[in-house]
Amino acid sequence: MSIAWKEIKKNKVRFSILGSIIFLVSLLTFIISGLANGLSQDNAALIKNLPSGHFYMNEDAEENYNLSRIDGSIREQILHDQKDAVAFSIQMGFLNDESDKQRSVAFVTSTNSKWFEQVAPGEIILDRSLEKEGMKVGDTLTHKQYKSSFVVKKFVDQKKFSHAPVAYINKESYNEIYRVEEMQLLFTPGEDSTQNIKGLQSFSNKDFLNTIPSYSAEQMSLNMIVWFLIVISGMLFGIFFYMMNVQKIGLYGILKAIGVKTSDLFKMMWTQMLFITILSLTLSVGSSQLFNKVAPEDMPYHLTNETTLQLSIVFLVIGFIGATLSGLQIKKVEPLQAIQQGEV
Amino acid sequence: MDIFSIDELRKTFTNGDMKEEILKGINLTLKEGEITALVGPSGSGKSTLLTIAAGLQPASDGKVLFNDINITSMTSEQVRDIRAKQFGFVFQFAHLVPFLTVWEQLSLMLDVSEVKINNEKREQEIDYILDRVGLSNRKHAYPSSLSGGEKQRVAIARAVIHKPKVLFADEPTASLDTKKSKEIMSLIQDLTKTLNITTLMVTHDEEMLSYVDHVVRMSDGRVV
Ligand SMILES: Nc1ncnc2c1ncn2[C@@H]1O[C@H](COP(=O)(O)OP(=O)(O)OP(=O)(O)O)[C@@H](O)[C@H]1O
Ligand SMILES: [Mg+2]
Repeated sequence: MSIAWKEIKKNKVRFSILGSIIFLVSLLTFIISGLANGLSQDNAALIKNLPSGHFYMNEDAEENYNLSRIDGSIREQILHDQKDAVAFSIQMGFLNDESDKQRSVAFVTSTNSKWFEQVAPGEIILDRSLEKEGMKVGDTLTHKQYKSSFVVKKFVDQKKFSHAPVAYINKESYNEIYRVEEMQLLFTPGEDSTQNIKGLQSFSNKDFLNTIPSYSAEQMSLNMIVWFLIVISGMLFGIFFYMMNVQKIGLYGILKAIGVKTSDLFKMMWTQMLFITILSLTLSVGSSQLFNKVAPEDMPYHLTNETTLQLSIVFLVIGFIGATLSGLQIKKVEPLQAIQQGEV
Repeated sequence: MDIFSIDELRKTFTNGDMKEEILKGINLTLKEGEITALVGPSGSGKSTLLTIAAGLQPASDGKVLFNDINITSMTSEQVRDIRAKQFGFVFQFAHLVPFLTVWEQLSLMLDVSEVKINNEKREQEIDYILDRVGLSNRKHAYPSSLSGGEKQRVAIARAVIHKPKVLFADEPTASLDTKKSKEIMSLIQDLTKTLNITTLMVTHDEEMLSYVDHVVRMSDGRVV
């Protein structure tokens, strides 16, 4: 017989209040982390969708990819030694469309690689978001520093950098616009440890993302909100169970007197906490999926199942800690206390 | 061998640097299957003696022998195990679990005492006791809907459902009127006799002494 369950049944209102607060807080947490993730995709999908590996830039660049220039001989050696290694460059810039309207893009060029689109001189491959803004395959685009023009060859999904759509161009075109021979960055895929390459600084995927201006600022503030919400929900559990336990001191005393184990009283509290949390989380996971469907198209909202699962586990752990800390008073209850206190 | 005896039991409470001896060497033996009543003036130490005997608080010195085992030298977990399986408790107030029905209160006690019975037998045992305390028709009621006397009868049913060896009762009738008190006393008498339970109870009410087998008078921490 589960007396934990019986208490919930008899005190539906009390437990529903806790449940609905946990539901709201966790739903808000899911939505905000969906936004954080969506924004980070919107900001840097180009980098985020690369496999994990190492990025290298020039030490003198001081972690600013814009200023990095990788020496040609080092580049050739790494591209030769390491399978799938790629050198690439990124610069923010503008393109003029057929109606001469300016579009902000991130120009990207690279050595041969399966992760970067390869284009012939005079051609351009664009992020899908520009197609949604009305561009079409075959359009001609121009750039102030580029004598001839670019013809749109195709559109690709999820290629953004620093919130701008990526525009893949040929190395020659890139050199003509920016007048640099060297590539800015090297990328080597694979989990193996960093190589020490003289004159180059190495970055993990995450570290490299944080060198993108705006990326770390954006993510930090959103993640801070998420953690605040998680801490708040832990405290809510703590406070709620504390108040419930204070009301039940007499009951705990009498149960201890008739021989109920303290550990069983804790199990009762944990069962209730798990039941309420799992129910609330199920509802809020469902609602956040629904939100995924109804959220406006241009709202950068992207909640992965992995994040949902991770956050749910964090909520369970935090709820457990909150309930347990507030439950420590159960340990101290003396059976006699209750008997002498009179009627329950 | 006596089922339950108390040997030179002492209890001293310390309030700041004040030490006060409340029990000053108590010797007492309970007769198996019989009811022993502790009476005496308020503050004479009756409740203190009963709760130490029941393993609800430690003694300062002396022994409490249950089946020749001294419970004052046991660990708190061992004492808890004895309380759960061998002892039953009734107090001035019923102290029922507010969110359990009458039937569930008794079923909980069977779980706590780890009695191994199947569901059919469990139903039978509970129905039997409820019949004995006259509450068969209230078995799905919650405590909030019971009268004081009914609550106390549930408390008594809970105290004996697991067939304890010893029943401890501290002023079980103090919150009831005389008529109800007599009903409760005759119920305790009736149940402890049929179930062969040894009982130690405290009472203020001389009228209730007609229901007990032995009377032990206490005064100022001593048996007189
Ligand atoms: N935890 C304690 N700390 C200090 N003194 C205590 C404690 N418990 C009881 N006493 C004291 O011990 C004495 C005996 O108390 P006890 O409750 O045993 O009396 P009693 O005979 O049951 O009285 P009553 O008939 O009023 O219930 C009282 O003077 C009381 O103040
Ligand atoms: Mg007393």
